[in-house]
Amino acid sequence: MTEQAMRPQFMGARVKRVEDPRLLTGQARYVDDIEVPGMLEVAFVRSPHAAAKILSMDLEAARHAPGVRAVWTFEDCPVMLWQRDTYEVGQPVLAHDEVRYVGEPIVAIIAENRYLAEDAAELVTIRYETKTPVLDMVDAIAESPRRVHPEAQNVFFHKVYASKGFDEAFNAAEHHLSETFRTTRQTAVTLEPRCTAAMLDPASGRMTIYASTQSPHRVRSDMCELLGWDENQIRVIVPEVGGGFGMKANTYPEDIIVVSAAQKLRKPVKWVSDRTESLLSDVHARDDIHEAEVAFNSDGKIVGFRDHLMADGGAYPAYPFSGAVGETSLASRVLTGPYDIPYIATTIDCTYSNKTPLGAYRGVWGPIASFVQEGLIDRVARALGKDPADIRRINMIRPDQFPYRNSAGMVYDQGSYGESMEEALKLVDYKEFRRRQDTLRHEGRYVGIGISVFVEPTAMASSEAGSVGYESVFIRIEPTGKVTAAFGLGPTGQGHETTMAQLIADQVGVNFEDVVILHGDTDSAPFGGGTGGSRSGPIGGGAALVAGREMRARLVKLAAHLLEAGEEDIELGAGKAWVAGVPDRAMTIKELAEVAYTHVKRIPEGLPIGLELVARYQPKRAVSFSNGTHIAEVEVDVLSGLIRVLNYVVVNDCGRLINPMIVEGQIQGGVAQGIGSAFLESLRYDEHGQLVTTSLMDYLLPEATEVPRITTRHLVTPSEGEGGIKGMGEGSLIGAPAALVNAVSDALAPFGAMVRQLPVLPNDVLDWVNA
Amino acid sequence: MKPGAFEYRKATTVKDAVAWLHSDLNSKILAGGQSLVPVMNFRLAHPSLLVDINEIAALHQITFNADTVTLGALVRHQEMAESTEVRDRLPLLAVTARHIGHWAIRNRGTLGGSLAHADPASEWPAVMVALEAQIQVEGPDGARTIPASEFYLGYYTTELAADEIVTAVTISRTRHRLGFAEVARRPGDFALAGSIVEDFGDGQGSVTWFGVAGKPERVVLALPEEESARARSFQSALGKLSQLDDDRHRQQLAVTVAERAFQHSRLTGHEYLTFEGGQV
Ligand SMILES: Cc1cc2nc3c(=O)[nH]c(=O)nc-3n(C[C@H](O)[C@H](O)[C@H](O)COP(=O)(O)OP(=O)(O)OC[C@H]3O[C@@H](n4cnc5c(N)ncnc54)[C@H](O)[C@@H]3O)c2cc1C
Repeated sequence: MTEQAMRPQFMGARVKRVEDPRLLTGQARYVDDIEVPGMLEVAFVRSPHAAAKILSMDLEAARHAPGVRAVWTFEDCPVMLWQRDTYEVGQPVLAHDEVRYVGEPIVAIIAENRYLAEDAAELVTIRYETKTPVLDMVDAIAESPRRVHPEAQNVFFHKVYASKGFDEAFNAAEHHLSETFRTTRQTAVTLEPRCTAAMLDPASGRMTIYASTQSPHRVRSDMCELLGWDENQIRVIVPEVGGGFGMKANTYPEDIIVVSAAQKLRKPVKWVSDRTESLLSDVHARDDIHEAEVAFNSDGKIVGFRDHLMADGGAYPAYPFSGAVGETSLASRVLTGPYDIPYIATTIDCTYSNKTPLGAYRGVWGPIASFVQEGLIDRVARALGKDPADIRRINMIRPDQFPYRNSAGMVYDQGSYGESMEEALKLVDYKEFRRRQDTLRHEGRYVGIGISVFVEPTAMASSEAGSVGYESVFIRIEPTGKVTAAFGLGPTGQGHETTMAQLIADQVGVNFEDVVILHGDTDSAPFGGGTGGSRSGPIGGGAALVAGREMRARLVKLAAHLLEAGEEDIELGAGKAWVAGVPDRAMTIKELAEVAYTHVKRIPEGLPIGLELVARYQPKRAVSFSNGTHIAEVEVDVLSGLIRVLNYVVVNDCGRLINPMIVEGQIQGGVAQGIGSAFLESLRYDEHGQLVTTSLMDYLLPEATEVPRITTRHLVTPSEGEGGIKGMGEGSLIGAPAALVNAVSDALAPFGAMVRQLPVLPNDVLDWVNA
Repeated sequence: MKPGAFEYRKATTVKDAVAWLHSDLNSKILAGGQSLVPVMNFRLAHPSLLVDINEIAALHQITFNADTVTLGALVRHQEMAESTEVRDRLPLLAVTARHIGHWAIRNRGTLGGSLAHADPASEWPAVMVALEAQIQVEGPDGARTIPASEFYLGYYTTELAADEIVTAVTISRTRHRLGFAEVARRPGDFALAGSIVEDFGDGQGSVTWFGVAGKPERVVLALPEEESARARSFQSALGKLSQLDDDRHRQQLAVTVAERAFQHSRLTGHEYLTFEGGQV
C-alpha cells in the first residue's frame, strides 16, 4: 500500500454534512411529499379501550360517506404479524374479535383524502364489552387479574442466569443493599412521524413502497413474508427520513394495510401518522422494573449484582422483535457496565399487558441498565460514606484486564474506562465543585453532580436492524471518473452520505465531492441490514473501506499496466494515478475509466471490463465496545421542584472517528434525549388503561431551553475491526439519564433522596423535600 | 388530526360578527386560532361556522388615556410583549406576555381569545382579575361591561353568551407595586402555578393566582415583612379560593410563586407603578 492510503485525508476530518443544506432549507423530500395523481389516503379507527370484546361494527354510514373508496376490517386483510410460532400470539393487522390496547387499529378507511377519511371514521360505530385491563407488570407475571391472551401465559419470555459460585460469594460479602428501579414508558417521537405509501406499476406489476424506515431490505422481506410477494416484485424506496431512533425498525399493521390496499384497489395509497396516532401506536419503550441487589465489602469493592428484570411488552410482541426482550436480555448481560464485578445473577420476565407494544428506542437496554448500575454504585458510596468517584475507581475494569470477560460472559475489547472518568472529573473540576456545593448548601441552594461511566456494545451481529451481521457496498467508478457507492443502510439523519463518502474518497484517491452515496432503494442497493444498534459506522463504514480498497487495487493494476510501471510504484490521490517520483507519468482517474469502459482493448488480461464491484464486511468480533463518561451538574429548586442542568461534560471513546463533528452531533442529541428521559418524558396510562399523554402538551420533550452547552472530549481506543471504528449512535443516551438523576440524588442528599424512578418530576422532588 | 368540514366567514365589523354568531348556535369566533384550531383538529370541537374576526380593525387597538388603558381583543401576545408604550407604562403586561407559549404562538394568539377561552392556567384572565379590569363585550342586544372578577365562572366557563364577542378590556390607573411570577415545566408551557401580587404599601395587598384553581380570584391579604408570616398569609388566602385544585404539593407551589411575585414587586416594583415611566 502506498503512503497516500496510509495517511487518509478525509477520515477524521470535520467535513460538513452534505445532507444539511437540503435539510436546513426545507428542500428534503419525505414520504408525505410524494404526491401521485389519484392517490388515496388512509385513516384508522382505533380502539378507545384497553381491553374489550368487539360485539358489533356498523360500517354502513362510513361506506357511503363522500370520497370513501373502501372500508376495511380484518376480513379484508387477514394478515397476522407473527405466525404464532415464536411467541404463541400474533397481532392481527386490524383487530377483529377483541381489542387489546388503546390505539390498536380496527377499521381502515381509504378515501380520496385524509379529511374525508377522518370524516368517515367518525361515522363508524363499534359496540364493545369492556374487560378488566391488565396494566400492572408485577400482577401480570402472577397471571392477575387475568391473561391478556387466553391461549398464552402473560410471561412470554423468561430467562435465568447466574455466574458460577454466585450464591456463596454474594452471601459472603460484608454488606448488601437492595433497590427497586423503575423506568416509565417513553417513545422516540421522531420529527417526521411514521408513514408509508405504496403503488403498483401497472406495466410490470411490481409494487413500489415508499417507507420511512431504518431497514429498507427488512421492509421488503417482511412484505414478502407477510403478504406473499416475491422479493424481485417489490421495490422499497426510502426517501429522507426525519428520525428513527429504533422506533422505525419495525413493520407495523398500518404498513401492511397500505400495501394491501394499493394492491387490491390498484391505486396509489398513502398513510401518514399524526402526532396523536404516533404517541398511541409507535412502539413504546422503557417500561421496566429492576429489583436489584448489590453485595459489597467495607473497602468499597463490589462482589456481585442480583437483579430481577421485568419488562412490560405491551399487548403483542412488536414485529419482528419485541422491545421487552431486547431491553432485558442485553441489560442482563451488560449490567455490570465498566466495572469488574465478578458475580451476577439475573432473572428476566417479559409480560403481556393491555398497552401499546414495546419496541426499540435508542440505547434500548442501555439507559435502563446504566441507571440501575450507576444507581447501585452511588448507593454503595453513600452507604459507606465514600466519594462516588472513589467507589468507581475501586471497581473499574483495569487496562491490563482486556480483553475482559464480564460475569455474564460478554467479552469486551479494549477501552479507556478509568481514563475517561478521570478526564471528565478534570473537565468539571470535581474538587472545586464539591467546595462550591458546600457553600451553596449553606445559602439554601441545592446543586449536585452525577457521574455515569458507560459501555456501549456496538457493531453487533444482531440488533434491532435484524440479524444481518454484515454490510454491503456496491461501488462504481463512472465513465467520468466520479464515484458512486450504494449501501443497504437506512440513515435517519446520521449523515451517512457524508461519512461513507469520506471513507471511500480516501481509499479510492478522489476528492470527497466526487463521491456520491446512494441508499434507501432496494433496486439499486445491495442487501443490507440497515441502520440500528450503532452498526452503520463500524460495519457500514468497514464495508466502505473494504469496497474502496478493492476498487483502489483495480485502479492500481490498470494504471500500472497503462503507465508501464510496477503496481507497487503507483500512487493514487486527488483523482489521479502517477508513478511514484515521476509525477509527469500520470493519468487521471477519468482517463483510467475511459479505458475501463470504452477503450476496453487496452485493459490488461485478468481485469474485467468496467469499474464496479460489490464488497461485504463482517467484523470478526461479535461486538465491539465503545465507552465514555458523562458528568452532569444540576440545580434543584427545592421550592418548585424544578431541575436545571448547569453544566454537562462528555468524554467519549468510539475508537477512530470518521467525523468528529458528526460524533459530537450524535452526543448532543443523545444528551438532549437523556434530559427528556431523566426529567420530562413519560407516557402515562390511567387506571382504565387510557393513555393520557396523547399530545406534545402532555408528553414533554426537551427543548433548546433545557439543553445546556455540552463540553465534549474524545479519547481514541481503536477497535480491532476495519478502520479501528467503533459505533457510537446510542452511547450518549445510555450514559446521560444516569448522570442526570445521580446529580439530583447528590443535590438532595441532605434530604436523604436517592432517585429510583425515571423521570424525576417536580412532585417527586417536593415529596423528598417535605418528607 | 384534521378538522371536520365547516363554513368560514370573515367579518369586518363587530355587528356582522355578532349577527352571524347569532344566526348559528354552533358557530365559533376565530381569533388567533391557537386554542380553537387544535381542539378542532382533535375533533373535540365541531363548529359549523367559523367567524373570523381578524379583520375587524377596531379590535386591534391599544389606547392609553389619562387614567385608563383600553386593549382591543385582537392585540396579540407578542405585541403586548414588544409594544414600547406597554413596556413603558404598564410593564406588568409585557412581562406577563413573555410567559405565554412560544414566539410563534404569541404572534397569533390574542388577548380576547385567551380571556374568552378561560383556561385556568392562562395568564391574561388572572392578570385582568388582579388589576380589576373591565371586560367589554358586545352581543345582539348591544354592548355591556363585565368586571373581570365576575366574568369567570370556573374551568373554561365565563359569563359570555354564545353570540357575544369580547371587544376590549379596560384597566384603570393604580399606583401599587405589582409583581409577577410563574412556575412552568419548560419555558412556554402553561403554568403549574402563577401569581400576581399587589403591594398596597401599608402592609396590605392582594394576590391572584392562576393554574391552581378553576378560576382566578383576587384575594386581599396582609403582607407582613417577615417571610414566614407572609407565607402563612398566602396560605390562608389560598383557603379562600372557591375552586382550589387538590393536586399534591399544589398549595406549596402556590405559596412559593406568590412569594416570588412579592419579591418581584420589591425588586422592580417601582417600575410597576402603572402609568409611570420606566424600563423593564
Ligand atoms: C403550545 C401552546 C402553548 C400555549 N401556552 C400558553 C400559555 O402558556 N399561557 C396561555 O395563556 N396560553 C397559552 N396558549 C394558548 C394561547 O395563548 C392562545 O392564544 C389563547 O388561549 C387563545 O387565543 P386565540 O386568539 O388563539 O383564540 P382562538 O383559538 O382563536 O379562540 C379560542 C376560544 O375563544 C373564542 N374567542 C376568541 N376570540 C374571542 C373574542 N374576541 N370574543 C369571544 N370569544 C372569542 C373562540 O371562539 C374559541 O372558543 C398556548 C397555546 C399553544 C398552542
